[in-house]
Amino acid sequence: MRFLNIEDEMKYFQRMFLLRKEIENFLYNEGFMNIEPSIFEGYDEFISVNSRIDKKTTVKILDSNKDILILAPDITTGIINKFMPRWEYGLKLKIFYYGKTYKYNGTGIKENREMGVEILGEKNENTDQDTLNVANRILNKYSENYLIEIGSSKFLKGIISACSFKKEDYHNILDFLYSKNKQELREYLEKLPYKEPMRTLYNILELEGSYEEITYQLKDMYLNDLAREGLEELKAIDSCMKNITDKIIYDLSLVSELSYYDGIIFRGYIEGSNKAIIKGGRYDSFTEQYGYKVPAIGFTVELDELSKILYREDV
Amino acid sequence: MSLTIAIPKGRLGTQAIEIFKRAGLGECIDEKSRKLVFEDKKRNLKFILLKNSDVITYVENGVADIGISGKDMVMESGGDVFELYKMNIGKCKMSVAGIKGKKIFKDDTILKVATKFPETAKKYFRGRGQRIKTIKLNGSIELAPILGLSDVIVDLVETGNTLKANGLEVFEDMYQISAMIISNKISYKFKRKEIKEIIELIRREEENGKDN
Repeated sequence: MRFLNIEDEMKYFQRMFLLRKEIENFLYNEGFMNIEPSIFEGYDEFISVNSRIDKKTTVKILDSNKDILILAPDITTGIINKFMPRWEYGLKLKIFYYGKTYKYNGTGIKENREMGVEILGEKNENTDQDTLNVANRILNKYSENYLIEIGSSKFLKGIISACSFKKEDYHNILDFLYSKNKQELREYLEKLPYKEPMRTLYNILELEGSYEEITYQLKDMYLNDLAREGLEELKAIDSCMKNITDKIIYDLSLVSELSYYDGIIFRGYIEGSNKAIIKGGRYDSFTEQYGYKVPAIGFTVELDELSKILYREDV
Repeated sequence: MSLTIAIPKGRLGTQAIEIFKRAGLGECIDEKSRKLVFEDKKRNLKFILLKNSDVITYVENGVADIGISGKDMVMESGGDVFELYKMNIGKCKMSVAGIKGKKIFKDDTILKVATKFPETAKKYFRGRGQRIKTIKLNGSIELAPILGLSDVIVDLVETGNTLKANGLEVFEDMYQISAMIISNKISYKFKRKEIKEIIELIRREEENGKDN
């Protein structure tokens, strides 16, 4: 058995460099502009907007004013923090970045290379589809066996907020959705005082598959305006993505670790990898805490994971 | 598309294999042999036999697509897997127990809890607002309060006979435990139909079993 030597390590760096350059060039040619993200975030600020993130995994630092900072566990938050206070009405930005995110993973600090895309200030009927299309083209470039999974945080929010759960119940229910634990979700709901929207929540884990399968399942279920709005967005996407139907699955119980999403959420998977390669979604309401709502959508590409599966046969 | 299924060795595994066989899956598994991998070529399934606490590790890392693991293991490991189906086997409770009659603890003290499941115990007592110190043990948990190692224990209780024989009693039931069919999160995306089909076969078999 031989362990990693300098030659192999250099090979790895060159591959990463080329992969990164290739995607950067693609995005640049698609009209995205490059920015360099900051690696520090304010701890309190970050936690307040990302309530589902596991606080233990953040890498904390004290600065000289004794403020607690963290090494960015996510880059989008930092970009929004940077731009929103100075945002000008009518501005449109299509940006991409390369950066590293940091998390404790039990044994130490895990550094993760990420490439990301954000479209800020633009929202017309095509923006969601265009973004998905860019994601699709990146996946398609590197594998034939990939899937894009799409959910709607509006749908989920519409149903869950209509149930007006107590905080503890709310978190437990999200955990059941997160682990697709249908039986325990139902047992839990049966113990709570009945409200009509719970009918949909009761069956929400069945709402996965093609768009047709979902709409079929949705018959006779409780819906409200926000949930319907979410479904309309998915319908619009579905009608535009007919050419790649076999690559798309919908999952209306999709819960994101980052709580700022507000509209479609999506993930991209490549067969053989044990992580999502692409993660993203719309997050308009995230910008709202700076005073005005700026439409925003984006996604990240997990470069480390992508390079791992592209070159696995060599190892 | 082929599926890899992780089955725990031991009593739970034996029960699970029986149900699988009745459902027409895994005819090839021979528990008496020393082999650890069995292939059901007809159905395109691969069964791997593992130590029960390792099932979740194999599934979480995608080496196995689905597996059978006790809910206790799933909670304790905090593994990022889907918990798709709760089976009718491996049923018991996770409970807090201690020396019979010694149920009162001053609220300013830190409760010493001996257990195989420190993470689950921490989570449970945090929810109850009780500060605890966990003492991780690997067996004969019942001894801990008797010999003064801990105030209480958190353990799986099936009949309560072991507790009773050692002068202990259940103070509080924490969770209902049973065997779960868990799935790797990414495998589920690519093999959803196949996985759901297996679960449906198992579910039907268990339902039929109930009637008989």
